[in-house]
Amino acid sequence: MKEERIKQLTDQIVELFRRSGYDVDAKEISKRLMLLIYEFKVPESEAIRTVKNWLIKELEIPKEKLAIESPLVKIADITKPGQWISLKAKVVQLWDSSSPNVSQVGLIGDETGIIKFVIWAKSGKGEVEEGKSYLFRNVVTDSFQGRMQINVNRNSEIVEIDEDIQLPPREIEVVGALVAIQQNSGLIQRCKLCRRAMTKGICPIHGKVEGYDDLRIKGVLDDGENFYEIILNEENIKALTGIDLEKAKQIATERLDRNAVLSELKSKLLGRYLKVRGTKGGRYLIVNDVEFLKGIDKAEVERLMEEVAA
Amino acid sequence: MNGIRRREIARRIFAYEFNRSTYRIKPEEDKAPVYVLTPLGMRCNRVFVVGALLDKDEIKPDSGIWRIRVADPTGAFFGYVGRFQPDALESLMEIEPPELVAIVAKVRVFERDGRLFVSLRPESISVVDSETRDYWIYETALKTLERIRRMELKKDEDCKLAWQIYSPNLNEFRQIVRQALASLKEEFELIEEFEEEIEELKERRDMEERELEKIKEKDELEEFEEEFEFEEEEWDLSDILGE
Repeated sequence: MKEERIKQLTDQIVELFRRSGYDVDAKEISKRLMLLIYEFKVPESEAIRTVKNWLIKELEIPKEKLAIESPLVKIADITKPGQWISLKAKVVQLWDSSSPNVSQVGLIGDETGIIKFVIWAKSGKGEVEEGKSYLFRNVVTDSFQGRMQINVNRNSEIVEIDEDIQLPPREIEVVGALVAIQQNSGLIQRCKLCRRAMTKGICPIHGKVEGYDDLRIKGVLDDGENFYEIILNEENIKALTGIDLEKAKQIATERLDRNAVLSELKSKLLGRYLKVRGTKGGRYLIVNDVEFLKGIDKAEVERLMEEVAA
Repeated sequence: MNGIRRREIARRIFAYEFNRSTYRIKPEEDKAPVYVLTPLGMRCNRVFVVGALLDKDEIKPDSGIWRIRVADPTGAFFGYVGRFQPDALESLMEIEPPELVAIVAKVRVFERDGRLFVSLRPESISVVDSETRDYWIYETALKTLERIRRMELKKDEDCKLAWQIYSPNLNEFRQIVRQALASLKEEFELIEEFEEEIEELKERRDMEERELEKIKEKDELEEFEEEFEFEEEEWDLSDILGE
């Protein structure tokens, strides 16, 4: 246990100097840390500072040279403990800290992932707020119970940035009624050059060009509290209605009207409850999986009845 | 979202609560959407209703305006469909009542003798199965109960306003929810006031139809506003997704 902690701290110090271009003797550092922390019962932070100062004097390093910038990394790249890094991330969630040694603990994220962070009380760093984005400079990666985390220590710096860091898309499940299907749905034509949907044979970018047929629905799913704009592709539409592109073309040919496909899809889908799993990207919910909602939970109805009776 | 108004949520509400909504929230600016405040403190501009379409009648021969009546286990909604609701009109022409339908509608409001009346202005009507109807009843019961709870706690300004205007008997609404839920268990109990309500609705309906000329003009205006919701860039998302 003791040795492990000493090794961790030693690695951090070695890493810090290595990044500034100095090779330092890990053994000597460990020896000094051991002595300070376990013999003289000096607080860790004081011990680290003492060792650092000793190295700086020993190697005649100009102070400002050591004020190095750790490399800016993405969360997905954090795989090894004991690395000095900087990262830009948004505070996703703050947890209640159970220890007086921890000033703040929670999750931060960038577009590549989410990671736990710990701001140690003795680091003396300011508080972060949920939903705000920060540059975490010179923080140390660590591994705790098999998961990576980052520690904010007294050498770290937290700066709020005027940038809204995007979080990785998270899959959500929505049950709602399909309350609208937009006009530009059904059997549509796409531009061969850019795949944008064309209106009356005209691509908004390339003008009058050749197109190809596609089947899609742009619609609005509404659960009574929120609405979600969804796009259903041919595969989704087929899963729900049994109509695929071939069948759609057939319907259009038989009725001499491409809009007949849209009418058909509307009559099969509008006002129905759908269960959609997908990821929120910009204004659309990107559908991964969709099905009709099946029945209601009788037990849930019983529960509600009891609640009303009470 | 500058300039383009956020789409209105389609609220789930039983006919009983809907028909008792007699208060309009004054728009803060011109052209702002109109909301009615329900007795349980919900602002409502658009609704999603599933029920039995019982009648469709042209209000005058060749007027092109159809009156519909749609019942849920707690009462009946009235609605009017005309040429400014082409999608709804097209579907309605193919439906023979009685039939189970799902309706997405804007709440139409008009005032007479200082009193406010609400009805539906359907955007779409579609025939659905009984599973959809059952889920709607369940979902609407759930949301109505949530509203009752919020009213008990006087949760927000709208709740306080609803207390002030309606001072609703919450037990009456609990009873309605119970009856709606009972219908799911095939122990349907007819609501006592139902007959009485029909009378009241008829009276109201006659008045409303006399006002319809005015409403038609207003519809046109609102229909125009609606278009903004559908304005969009025509992107193929598969590009972005790197399919």
